[in-house]
Amino acid sequence: MLACLCTVLWHLPAVPALNRTGDPGPGPSIQKTYDLTRYLEHQLRSLAGTYLNYLGPPFNEPDFNPPRLGAETLPRATVNLDVWRSLNDKLRLTQNYEAYSHLLCYLRGLNRQAATAELRRSLAHFCTSLQGLLGSIAGVMAALGYPLPQPLPGTEPTWAPGPAHSDFLQKMDDFWLLKELQTWLWRSAKDFNRLKKKMQPPAAAVTLHLEAHGF
Amino acid sequence: MAAPVPWACCAVLAAAAAVVYAQRHSPQEAPHVQYERLGSDVTLPCGTANWDAAVTWRVNGTDLAPDLLNGSQLVLHGLELGHSGLYACFHRDSWHLRHQVLLHVGLPPREPVLSCRSNTYPKGFYCSWHLPTPTYIPNTFNVTVLHGSKMMVCEKDPALKNRCHIRYMHLFSTIKYKVSISVSNALGHNATAITFDEFTIVKPDPPENVVARPVPSNPRRLEVTWQTPSTWPDPESFPLKFFLRYRPLILDQWQHVELSDGTTHTITDAYAGKEYIIQVAAKDNEIGTWSDWSVAAHATPWTEEPRHLTTEAQAPGEHPHPLPPVLSVGLRCCLALSCAFQLL
Repeated sequence: MLACLCTVLWHLPAVPALNRTGDPGPGPSIQKTYDLTRYLEHQLRSLAGTYLNYLGPPFNEPDFNPPRLGAETLPRATVNLDVWRSLNDKLRLTQNYEAYSHLLCYLRGLNRQAATAELRRSLAHFCTSLQGLLGSIAGVMAALGYPLPQPLPGTEPTWAPGPAHSDFLQKMDDFWLLKELQTWLWRSAKDFNRLKKKMQPPAAAVTLHLEAHGF
Repeated sequence: MAAPVPWACCAVLAAAAAVVYAQRHSPQEAPHVQYERLGSDVTLPCGTANWDAAVTWRVNGTDLAPDLLNGSQLVLHGLELGHSGLYACFHRDSWHLRHQVLLHVGLPPREPVLSCRSNTYPKGFYCSWHLPTPTYIPNTFNVTVLHGSKMMVCEKDPALKNRCHIRYMHLFSTIKYKVSISVSNALGHNATAITFDEFTIVKPDPPENVVARPVPSNPRRLEVTWQTPSTWPDPESFPLKFFLRYRPLILDQWQHVELSDGTTHTITDAYAGKEYIIQVAAKDNEIGTWSDWSVAAHATPWTEEPRHLTTEAQAPGEHPHPLPPVLSVGLRCCLALSCAFQLL
């Protein structure tokens, strides 16, 4: 069972809202966040390959297609198409922020158990990059005046000593963690694409509007 | 007294004739349909006739040689496709039709080839299939789509009979899709399945309307424009990036340019005066694979119109030209050449 003590993440110092006068708006930081998701996705590909090989078969087989059991606390990227399209900016950003906060926490747990030094190094490097992504998303939210999500009392992930976890089930949890992480990074690229388009300067926004009609 | 007897006689004769006629020409029961494997041997009995009954066999109306017979049964060795047809056996003397067999020679199906692709992401994907070798007889296909434990509907394509379409209900799923197909015909059965993630099958259609135009007064430029494929439903939220390749017809080596947005590009290193062939491909910015290459566009960069060489006769009394005409043309030619060398 995936559980995590992550109080440290939820108490990031509040990022002060950027001085709006004369600043280029959230556009550049949205672009930066988008670029970070691409960078992380690329990094994850080699990390996941190495880690799945470490887990061994069947986890590293390309056709491995297990049912999704357990790992219920993992934040799921999957969403109904129409719901995803109609997400408002605040919700879109919040969902991304919350997802990566949880995923980072679980990844750190993975790092603690990893057997080889090389794996621990790769995981640590990835965790740092993921922390950077979180900071970037927080920056965008602050620039747009949205509050960072605070954990509700009782929903904060805390360590819960679950039932004795078999080695195989633990590996399954690891498998789903990496899968979900990869899918979230693909989703975030699309999320930030959408945000980028909405934040275009007014002239371009009008052009887009007209194009949409003609489309 | 004699009149009733001839009448009765006529009636009986007429009835007998009618029965014989009916037997000869009435619609027989439909021919028995039979499927046999290519290369095999088959023995066709003449319906319920005894083995030693005297019969003649015909195929598609043509008599068959009696040496193919084993008693009243027709024996065919090493079936070929040409053996397919309507076989009929007749009572030798009365030409009464005893039995008909519609024989189809074919093969059981080999493992079908199945592939799926999403050219309309995020709307959905389609799967298409075919048999690697023909069976020569009718086949039925059955496709099932599973997403985890959930069965999804694959709607038949209205135009193509080996294609069906699935609509995405959810995006960004970590659960793989499994598409299975089974094929069967009268001689056998086969099946296959493929499993894939949502992202791996994304492959847009090629860009449309690729047009290349020369740029006036620029002998080394070509302006290329194209459109996103009309099947891609949402280029705003799911933008495409493009790959352009071009070469002069006379060379084999392509030049490549990758473009992250926009649907125009100006080639600036074209060889002057050479006809170019240009193609564009598209890909979702983050996921999936490149489309096939678009239909090729052809264009030749702008060239200056050649001036006509004329010798102008000098009329008496006219002022001489500042420069002899031939020399002035030659000088212009040299200037143009030196310009061309500077550009290269």
